[in-house]
Amino acid sequence: MTDRLEPEMNKRSEKPTERRETPKYLVLLFLLLLLVMGMVLPKGVRSLVTHMMIFCILAMGYDVCFGLTNQCSLGHAVFFGGGAYGVVLSMLHLKVGILPAIFFSLGAGFILAVIMGLICVRLSEAHFVIITAIFFAVFHLFAMDLTWLTGGDDGLSLKLPSISLGSVTFSLYDPMVNYYFVLIFLSVSYLILNRMARSPMGKIFVSIRENEKRLQFLGYDVFRYKLIAFIVSGLFSALSGGLYALTLRYGSADLFSFHWSIMPIVWCLIGGIGTLAGPWIGVVIMSLFQYYVSAWWTYYLILFGIIILLILRISRKGILGYLISRRFT
Amino acid sequence: MGGRFFSLLERNSSTAHTHRRVRRRQPRLYRCLSLPDILTTILFLLVNGLVWGLIVALIAIGLSLIFGVMGIVNMAHGDIYMAGAVLSFYVTGILGNFWLSLILVPAVVLLVSAPMERFVLRPYEGHHSSTMIATVGISFIIQQIVLGTYGGIPKKITNPWPISFNFLGVDYPGYRFLVACISVLILVGLWLFLYRTSYGILVRASMQDREMAGAMGIDVSKVLITTFVIGSVLAALGGVLAAPINQVFYLMGNDVILLSFIVVIIGGLGSLKGTLIAALSLCSVEGVLASVLSPVQARAAIFIVMIIVLIRRPRGLFTE
Amino acid sequence: MTAGSKILETDSVTMRFGGLTALDGVNYSVQEGEVRGIIGPNGAGKTTLFNVITGELKATSGKIFLRGTDITSLPPHAICQEGLSRTFQLTFIFPEMTVYESIWVGVNSRARRPWNPFILAHQAADLSQRTQEICHLVGLEEKMNELASNLSYGDQKILEIAMALSTQPSILLLDEPTQGVSPQETDNITEVVEKLSRKMTIILIEHSMDVVLRLCSSITVLNEGRVVAEGSPKEISKNEEVQRVYLGEMS
Repeated sequence: MTDRLEPEMNKRSEKPTERRETPKYLVLLFLLLLLVMGMVLPKGVRSLVTHMMIFCILAMGYDVCFGLTNQCSLGHAVFFGGGAYGVVLSMLHLKVGILPAIFFSLGAGFILAVIMGLICVRLSEAHFVIITAIFFAVFHLFAMDLTWLTGGDDGLSLKLPSISLGSVTFSLYDPMVNYYFVLIFLSVSYLILNRMARSPMGKIFVSIRENEKRLQFLGYDVFRYKLIAFIVSGLFSALSGGLYALTLRYGSADLFSFHWSIMPIVWCLIGGIGTLAGPWIGVVIMSLFQYYVSAWWTYYLILFGIIILLILRISRKGILGYLISRRFT
Repeated sequence: MGGRFFSLLERNSSTAHTHRRVRRRQPRLYRCLSLPDILTTILFLLVNGLVWGLIVALIAIGLSLIFGVMGIVNMAHGDIYMAGAVLSFYVTGILGNFWLSLILVPAVVLLVSAPMERFVLRPYEGHHSSTMIATVGISFIIQQIVLGTYGGIPKKITNPWPISFNFLGVDYPGYRFLVACISVLILVGLWLFLYRTSYGILVRASMQDREMAGAMGIDVSKVLITTFVIGSVLAALGGVLAAPINQVFYLMGNDVILLSFIVVIIGGLGSLKGTLIAALSLCSVEGVLASVLSPVQARAAIFIVMIIVLIRRPRGLFTE
Repeated sequence: MTAGSKILETDSVTMRFGGLTALDGVNYSVQEGEVRGIIGPNGAGKTTLFNVITGELKATSGKIFLRGTDITSLPPHAICQEGLSRTFQLTFIFPEMTVYESIWVGVNSRARRPWNPFILAHQAADLSQRTQEICHLVGLEEKMNELASNLSYGDQKILEIAMALSTQPSILLLDEPTQGVSPQETDNITEVVEKLSRKMTIILIEHSMDVVLRLCSSITVLNEGRVVAEGSPKEISKNEEVQRVYLGEMS
């Protein structure tokens, strides 16, 4: 099976693969940086970075759907809120520990994604956007209305038990533990998704983005692959929702709001769509912006809007997409 | 409201319409069945829904034009509606006359939206996701400007025509009747423009196929600006008309934007008639549903029905 | 490959779009190993016939058989898996993917587990070998790492053919492979098609009579959705009705 042609071939195919993703070593470096930062950051910033890491998982999950298979969903708030409530409700009513609760949030994300995916994925672009938006609206309305279940706007608070691994116990109430807990999930998520992007399945996803119809004539049942991408995207979005609920020790109907549907798109378009870790740049920029600028100007969202307009003007593929295309033209 | 439905003692208190009712009275046997409360309530809600549906039709048709001709998924459209309402608040407050806003607000919107299309939105056109996020950015900007100037408290405009009509046994606010008339006038005017003027034909041609229109020598740039202005003015007029009915609040656009998109899709992309029918049907059904469910539940129910409709007929109900 | 057996057959295929009848009761069959040309004026229904055969359109009535199997209502990807592949008239490629990757995708679809998320794409040795073979076959081996959108138009046409080949078809449908291409590149493409014709059945839509006469063992002439004539190149070039059809179009 392998012969002398192989190594040469590997080298030649290595380049195209890595061209359109964020170079893996850069991301690993960044994760290492986060590892170190956790020990030296002041409390306020550390909390901000914890939140940013959670959003990075959300952004990455969304990029699988939007960046890799070109499905612009407005319904990911359903997964985010669903994952959060998966954690909250399972811990409140079923009294499970933290790690089982995460499984519940993944389960919630999976079920929601399957239902939504089976209905929405086969629709054409504009209809897909609208129906996913309707799903988001329905869930948001129900979340606010069914206060007995969700706590509505006020929400439900959590008391977190400690996690015990063998003889050592951790409590997420310790911000440092919380930080590294999230960092582990971020790193593992990235490694899984990166592997998937470089696998044949990932290549199929990219081909869907490039020319969906042609792919059908190459023998692929495109609907099946789009559905898989959607479900994977929903899983990771739900994971980020679950982690968010754990970090805030709280879940409310707000987690189903439009903000969580639209921000992943903003992060992806600003950071670099289709690159998996590119949206992290979007998360960092927007979160830092929100954190610092909102302190000195209440109407910081005006600048937010202006930044969005400017970055999109420069490059529709986002900052990372722009940098990559500059390097290779 | 619930207890009144089956009361036999209805209609005793009103004066003029009791008189009319006496003339048309059915045989004693059926007196309890002739226009009982449940029907009048439903009729009232239905007509209310139709009036609201006309306003939504204005907004949705504007959205459909902007999307059809320019490929812009205008997420700021609801905020233009809101801006129209806010501006009419100021006009009413400063000039003392609500009806002037029907002229002044479109003028202001024209002056702002024409350069906005030409200089801000033009580069993104045709790329749906980019326009969607770009207009979200614009939406933030508009909302925050209004928040900073008008404030975050919902305020009401006093009813410009506090008269009631009586129609089929229902006391109906005169202002809403006027809203219906004005909306119909606007829609007729729009129809005349699109189907009877040469410029309107250009707009429709561009909606069908922009490249072809450009290749045939049509000044596409002017058509784009015109379309965007018309679409925005429609939304703003919807806001002006809605202002005395709903409260004027800087987030009121969010209530309307998703509904408008749904109406456009249900009606069929590219079919303005379909959009109108969809708006009227959806809003009247929602209005009637709100009598038995809470407003939130009625809205959710409509949305669920929409999902089902769009699954069965993805191209909308009236695609050409 | 048994010469003489029917590999593709259409039975009274009719395709109507509203009031327009694009195909009208087309009975058409191709023997295995043939190189069959389809010619006819614009709007005759040639591409529509391809669209119906490959499953992009559902015929209003009639049936299509591939090696005896009824493929009329199968979706495009299933028909491709049955061994029928096509190219498109206007190049329909993956713009931001390299030549190698574009061909690889098709090769992968015939793999046992094309959706495998566990291995790395470039590690599948049998796939990369086959991809390379196809690149060699069509003459694109030097441009393997070029982005598809950076290729010249003629090379893109060749890439189209390579992509259609990648799914190991037994019958190949080529839709105007030399359209819009310089004479030199036309020669190039014709050579490639000739090479391929020794290994598989080919159906060729073409406007250029030179190419058709050089490559095809038999020709079908379509006009207004109907088969007007069928026969060897010599017979067709002498056929009066065919001449009328073409002359009529030009006047």
